[in-house]
Amino acid sequence: MTVDLTAVVAQADHSQLAGAIVSGLSLGTIYALLAMGFVIIFKATQVVNFAHGALATVGAFITAGVAVELNFPGRFLDLPPFLGWAISVLAALALSAVMGMVLERVFLRPMVGENLFSVAIVTLGMNVILMTIVTDYIGPDPRSMADPWGDAVADLGFVIIAHTEIAQFGVAVALVLMVAGFFRTRTGIAMRATAFDQEAARAQGIRVGAIFAIAWAIGAVLATVGGIFGSVYPRRVGVYPDTALLVFRAFPAIILGGLDSVLGAVIGGLSVGVAESLAGSYLNHPWFGTGFSGIVPYLLMVGVLFIRPYGIFGTEEIRRV
Amino acid sequence: MRGRPHLHTSYSADQALMPTVTKKVVLAVFLGLAALAPIASSIPFYPDFLGDNDWMKILSHVAIFGIGALGINLLTGVAGQVSLGHAFFMGLGAYVAVVFGAPPGDLWGLGLPMWIWLPMAGIIPAIVGLLVGPAAVRVRGLYLAFATLGLVFIGEWAWRNLKFVTGGAFAGRKFPEFQWRVWKEEEPVADFASDGVWLGFEISEEAKVYLLMLGFLVVATLVAKNLQRTRTGRAFQAIRDRDIAAEVMGVNEFRYKLTAFGISSAFAGVAGALFASFVGRQIPETWDLFLSVEFIAIILIGGAGTVSGALMGTAFVIVLPRLVQDFTEWLSDVIERGESTLATVADVVVAVSPEDGGLINTIPGVGPGLSVFQLNQVLFGLLIILFMIFEPLGLYGIWLRVRNYWKGWPFTY
Amino acid sequence: MKSKFRWLAMVMAVALIAASCGGDDDAEPATTAAPATTAAPATTAAPATTAAPEEEPMDEDEPMDVEEPSDMMVATDIGVDLDGGVIKVGMLSDLTGPFGGLVGLVAAGFNAYWADVNDQGGIGGLEVELVYRDTVYSVDNHVQFYEELKDEVVAFGHSTGSPHTVAIRENLEEDGILAIPLTWYSGWSDPALNANLLSHGTPYCIEAMNMIGYMHDIVVDSGVDSPTLAIASFPGDYGLDSAEGARLAASALGIEVVYDGSGAVIPGQDNAPIGNAIAQSGANIVWITANAATLTEVYGAAISQGFEALWSGAAPVWSQALVAPDSPIKDAIARDFYTSIYFSPIIENNPGTEFLRELMAKYAPEVPLIDYVVEGFIESMILHEALNVAYENGDMTQSGVLAAAKSIENIDFRGLAPSESYVGGANERLQRQIWINRPDPEALAAGTSPTGIRVIERAYTHPIAADYVFEEACYKLS
Repeated sequence: MTVDLTAVVAQADHSQLAGAIVSGLSLGTIYALLAMGFVIIFKATQVVNFAHGALATVGAFITAGVAVELNFPGRFLDLPPFLGWAISVLAALALSAVMGMVLERVFLRPMVGENLFSVAIVTLGMNVILMTIVTDYIGPDPRSMADPWGDAVADLGFVIIAHTEIAQFGVAVALVLMVAGFFRTRTGIAMRATAFDQEAARAQGIRVGAIFAIAWAIGAVLATVGGIFGSVYPRRVGVYPDTALLVFRAFPAIILGGLDSVLGAVIGGLSVGVAESLAGSYLNHPWFGTGFSGIVPYLLMVGVLFIRPYGIFGTEEIRRV
Repeated sequence: MRGRPHLHTSYSADQALMPTVTKKVVLAVFLGLAALAPIASSIPFYPDFLGDNDWMKILSHVAIFGIGALGINLLTGVAGQVSLGHAFFMGLGAYVAVVFGAPPGDLWGLGLPMWIWLPMAGIIPAIVGLLVGPAAVRVRGLYLAFATLGLVFIGEWAWRNLKFVTGGAFAGRKFPEFQWRVWKEEEPVADFASDGVWLGFEISEEAKVYLLMLGFLVVATLVAKNLQRTRTGRAFQAIRDRDIAAEVMGVNEFRYKLTAFGISSAFAGVAGALFASFVGRQIPETWDLFLSVEFIAIILIGGAGTVSGALMGTAFVIVLPRLVQDFTEWLSDVIERGESTLATVADVVVAVSPEDGGLINTIPGVGPGLSVFQLNQVLFGLLIILFMIFEPLGLYGIWLRVRNYWKGWPFTY
Repeated sequence: MKSKFRWLAMVMAVALIAASCGGDDDAEPATTAAPATTAAPATTAAPATTAAPEEEPMDEDEPMDVEEPSDMMVATDIGVDLDGGVIKVGMLSDLTGPFGGLVGLVAAGFNAYWADVNDQGGIGGLEVELVYRDTVYSVDNHVQFYEELKDEVVAFGHSTGSPHTVAIRENLEEDGILAIPLTWYSGWSDPALNANLLSHGTPYCIEAMNMIGYMHDIVVDSGVDSPTLAIASFPGDYGLDSAEGARLAASALGIEVVYDGSGAVIPGQDNAPIGNAIAQSGANIVWITANAATLTEVYGAAISQGFEALWSGAAPVWSQALVAPDSPIKDAIARDFYTSIYFSPIIENNPGTEFLRELMAKYAPEVPLIDYVVEGFIESMILHEALNVAYENGDMTQSGVLAAAKSIENIDFRGLAPSESYVGGANERLQRQIWINRPDPEALAAGTSPTGIRVIERAYTHPIAADYVFEEACYKLS
């Protein structure tokens, strides 16, 4: 029963600053993924998606369902764990994409042409419904992602980092490049045209409805990836319903970068993550009270809005009579 | 001129609060009925359960949230400034009230009477609202919604840490009771916090509080309704409809946006103070984003921009959960008796035993199906969506259609 | 003409509304009578003559004979219907809020216990019906549902949450109604607070003293002269009561507190910096009072830095999910973690747990046997005793049940928990015993321990806790 306490390592080798920055970047990439999906949906369809948190939670829950409950593809094939899990995740992402498209078709297509705010409120309603149902399904215990990395960590000398976080950085970079590449494809250009002017795009023969569906599919996939990385070690042992709160924390990132800038979402996400983590590590004076790091993103957001009311990379609205 | 309701011969007639006799009569009857709710059981043809203490509490809740809804309606419905920060101002009002009204003790409290703490609960949030106003001039539309959302989170941090005011997170504190005192004397002049005898009738604490809240709601409604038809109200609407056009016409955007935030925050503050005292004890987690969303939902379901819509929306949103609860209990009772074909239908909807499947699960603990609370949540979300898609004018719009139908009846076209 | 029609329309609309309200009115009596929430199908036809096998140990001065209801004169007011043969008990439960998982299990225990009592003939032939209301851990709902149920039930089987229970305390006193608090707040021992409450179990504060003492002894035995402690907790009565207990124990034992994050763990925020700070502090012992989700954030961040120490926290921190087969941290948790609980875990073998397992298998086989089911049984046994005594006194009014409850000198839980008494001073009544467990992933995977633990200490009290003299709550709710 006695525990070998000599195993307590000398943490002083690793700089606290480097740890806080890496931990902030890791949080920031999750924010960036969530923010990117949000911005793509907003740009292409003019919908402010308050249900983005629900998309992330449901997506992560679907992943857990496919990987653990359904045990796909493990039940059919005996694959190495990493390959098997990758296939499960791809299947879950496909399901999430379908979910995104169905939600758009059922709840938001009827709202095309309504004012921004009314549409935003519809997504609030969607959020309430999706969250209630998924909370009921998840139940009190988290659903594990069954990822192949476990609690393995790598010591890089100046900082110790979990394998999941390394994977997360890789996946995030790949996804950003893919999104950037997508906007250069024919469909991507059509989406940009739609974002610019729906009616003109339609007049040019672009199927605006299909563009909406694609935007929601991309948004749901990015949200799911964010949800998955928010639910693995070292953050969680599985998806809890409160994964959705990650998106509320990502809102400042979205506003900071500008509602309609994909680049802004990535930069906003990373900077908010790092700011939050640094505040958590260094602003510990009693004067700040407890949980000050939680409002740092919002303070940043309000500050930026005062200087640039449409975000750092956002497009200024031209006001005409 | 009689009998031609839309013929107005003077500007003042056009702007009258109650343009027709009918409107006056209906309003008087409605108010009378509302005021008589505490003695519902002794009035024939009156739903007598309304006089029960728990229903008195629900109706008081409606009255208090009605005041808050009028505030958000002025800001979001009339002036078009979408704010998710309403919960912050409600919390602020509640804590101002408690600092002025609570007796001195471990936590801050000045022990001042209600005629001081209640107005202060409006004044101080109004001042803070005026400070937020300039931001609304600079930050527009959706960006404003997000900025005010930040206000809720910053508020949560403040309430959590101002322990000497709020009692601290998940702990909270007691709020002053509804007692009218001239100053700090022992015996209140009018005590709404205990059972008593009025005009020879025994009256419960809950009924007293309800009548008091109804009185506040009537005052608040008059203020809101009057404000809408003044120069200020028209300026609000002009800004909502096209801010730059309003400016061109000479409406001072800065001044009126400030006014809108100030007035709306005052309403929110008073509603928050009343609500906290009404419940008796509050934890800081009460003033969260969901409360703001609830108010947005209230005015959307009721019909944004109209006073009657805000009030109908409040009644609907507050009373609905209780009705759903009673309905599911009634359904499981039907199953329990199991005599009619209705029981078979009800059985599909409600699960009463572990083996039983059903959409709603009335057994607490572990099991599939939605609980009554979750069902209420789903209905809440669904209602928001359905109203936005099918009836953007909300309950007020439905009322208009019903009224127009009967207006022409039997010649419905 | 037109305005006349309009007037008519108004009248008709009002009539329409009145009619629809009238419809509700008809439904109302049926609604209130609905036994919507009784547990299993109650077999009222079963002969109720067999004496209850789970005989409650009676006090010497109380009569042992159980009469048929018709032979006795029982005074009643609210919540007891002699003709209908029903006793209604209110349940203010957080079924879908932040503690929904825990309280759901407590409710499952309640349901099974009372299904059995009712099958055995109830309280003198009266069937007990539990009327649940889901408060979702909101004070407003709690107060509203209290108001709704107080005119319907004879007592409250439980009231979830400390601020919530404090919010209805004055009303309970005014109305003379009994409630059993479902929280282990140390303030319940305060006579100023507990006039209408039947508190039970070891408070968070004493639990922390026991565990800090226990882990201190382990660390000292392993050769460390001056152990150090890191504390992290939720804000509020739960987190701060427990953190205060840890600080008291630390100062009594001469442990240095190297990191104090009392109230710093906030659900929904990024709690990783707390884990990093704990790792930086290099403490030997970590005491964390939060929930399982936030524990994983703090713990994950700390161990990813290579930090190792003894970890423990108040009972509600523990979840079997931490050591579930696909939990990435199950080995680390099994290595580091000690968990405690206020009553006997279900895997123990004693008359109480055997009785519990039998009832759960009979009435609720689908419910996993996770330890909080025991809490449902403990509260039920307290309630059962109170109702029994009130029945024997012939006074089943709300105040009669309260008076009966407050006269109980001894309740034996048959090994499920240390016996409770509701007479005597706060210090004699204060519970100080806890059960200490280690995580056991293998037993969870094998299905032999659904809570994922094995017991290492039973009814344990550290001298620090034993010597503690209660004067006021460790953390005061103003």
